[in-house]
Amino acid sequence: MNYSTHNTLLYVENLSVAYGDKTVIKDINFVEKDVIRENNVTGQVVAVVGRSGRGKSTLFRAMTGLIKPTTGKILIADTTTGIENDAKEVQEGDIGFVDQKYTLFRNKTVYQALQFALRKKDISKEEKHNTIMTYLADWGLEKAKDQYPCELSGGQRQRTAVIEQILCSGHYMVLDEPFSGLDVGNIEDVKKAFNLITSSHEFNTIIYSTHDIELAVELADSIYVIGYPTIDGKRKEYGTIVKHVDMKELDLAWKDFGLDHIEVVKQIKATMLNS
Amino acid sequence: MKYLFKPFEKISKNNRLLIIFFWVVIVLAFWFISSMGERHLFPSPQQVLTGFTELYSEGLVVHIGSSLLLCIKAILIAVVISLIVTYLATIPILTPIARTLSKLRYLPLTGISFYLAIIISDARTMQVWVLVVFMSTYLTTSLLSMVSAISQEEFDHARSLQCSRWEVLWEVVVKGRIDHVIEVIRQNLAIVWMMLVTVESILVAAGGLGFLIKNSDKFMNHGRIIALQIVILLVGLSIDFILDYLRKAFFRYSKI
Repeated sequence: MNYSTHNTLLYVENLSVAYGDKTVIKDINFVEKDVIRENNVTGQVVAVVGRSGRGKSTLFRAMTGLIKPTTGKILIADTTTGIENDAKEVQEGDIGFVDQKYTLFRNKTVYQALQFALRKKDISKEEKHNTIMTYLADWGLEKAKDQYPCELSGGQRQRTAVIEQILCSGHYMVLDEPFSGLDVGNIEDVKKAFNLITSSHEFNTIIYSTHDIELAVELADSIYVIGYPTIDGKRKEYGTIVKHVDMKELDLAWKDFGLDHIEVVKQIKATMLNS
Repeated sequence: MKYLFKPFEKISKNNRLLIIFFWVVIVLAFWFISSMGERHLFPSPQQVLTGFTELYSEGLVVHIGSSLLLCIKAILIAVVISLIVTYLATIPILTPIARTLSKLRYLPLTGISFYLAIIISDARTMQVWVLVVFMSTYLTTSLLSMVSAISQEEFDHARSLQCSRWEVLWEVVVKGRIDHVIEVIRQNLAIVWMMLVTVESILVAAGGLGFLIKNSDKFMNHGRIIALQIVILLVGLSIDFILDYLRKAFFRYSKI
């Protein structure tokens, strides 16, 4: 499938995070660029997989600015300056973050939560209202508008959490295990949500972690495997990228799941088991 | 019937009411039987009823009002102090203040009263402040637990929505936990209510239920003492019920 890559959207260099003496992740390097396909708005979908305790959540917290990296830097495209390929170091709030529990403000209704997410946008009250109502309609949340998180279903919570981040953070969104504990229907909802996000802007980039390798291979166009590296025959006790699968290069991205995808799944699982 | 004796067995609402009724009957029967004869530990129901009548004619309602007023004053001041101290405890340099205040709950009431007596001359003000100091320590302890029970995900969620640290404090801790504050007050109320009666009986200033107990105690009027205990229990339970009702009525999202 024809595609090309343009502006760098995400640049991670020499990233490491340590808590005291314990290094959780180290030597993380990767670049994600804007993928362009003809007659198609194509956002980026990046999956991060790896066994438990390898540092996926720590990587996500660093990428979203919630923890300061011990070394290295994380740059994202600065689309506000109008200068092409302009970059800035990631700050708290630049990248939306949805955790696996779909945390929301417990004391705000869906509408109030979205209103809060828009509080810093320089638009009129009426425009804010219209934006919220459009999103609620598009994402099937109109009826849940005045409900509190404790009154929402898992799927409704997840959609609200995603919209909140879209409204507040712009083009980037990190989702920590968005498929964890969801039933078949909810998984389809998340897939739809991914499509809605990536098809609405070229720069929109979803980065998510999952233990479901089939879902990673099916949905992502770039997959990173995090694991413990083996250096000079010794397994190290920190997480790093041990494999990168570029589904675009393999001509498997944006295609229905097939036999070739299964082969990739096997390769990823083998890498995970050895790291 | 057998299932009523099985641990963790779910029972219907009707059965629950029947069990409560059964126990009330048992307690009343025990009371009647144990208060018969010449020598008995508890006063008879008749004596308690007479106690109620006497108390009522001596201005029981006014005394309840006085105790409630003292309770409300002390609670309001203590809640304000405890909330300020707890919210500020999220700032590292101020954390030790809250931790210390919480630890002071191990201080004896007599010691607190001694120092307060040096500073305060008015007995009613003294009662208020003894309770405030006492309550603040317990409230702060519970409020600190409330804050530490907030999950990291909630803080991260607010931060990911570009909240400054002060906004996180306001949105997640202050606004996000108002219902919990009411629950903390409710849970601590039992100790406070108990202390209030003790404080009133030690520092006899402007009447109150504690003053009535002390008077009844002096004359060994058992009927009055039990009548008063029942009044104190019922007033305490009423406050508890009202607070729980208010929390549920005003905070629909509150599922504590």
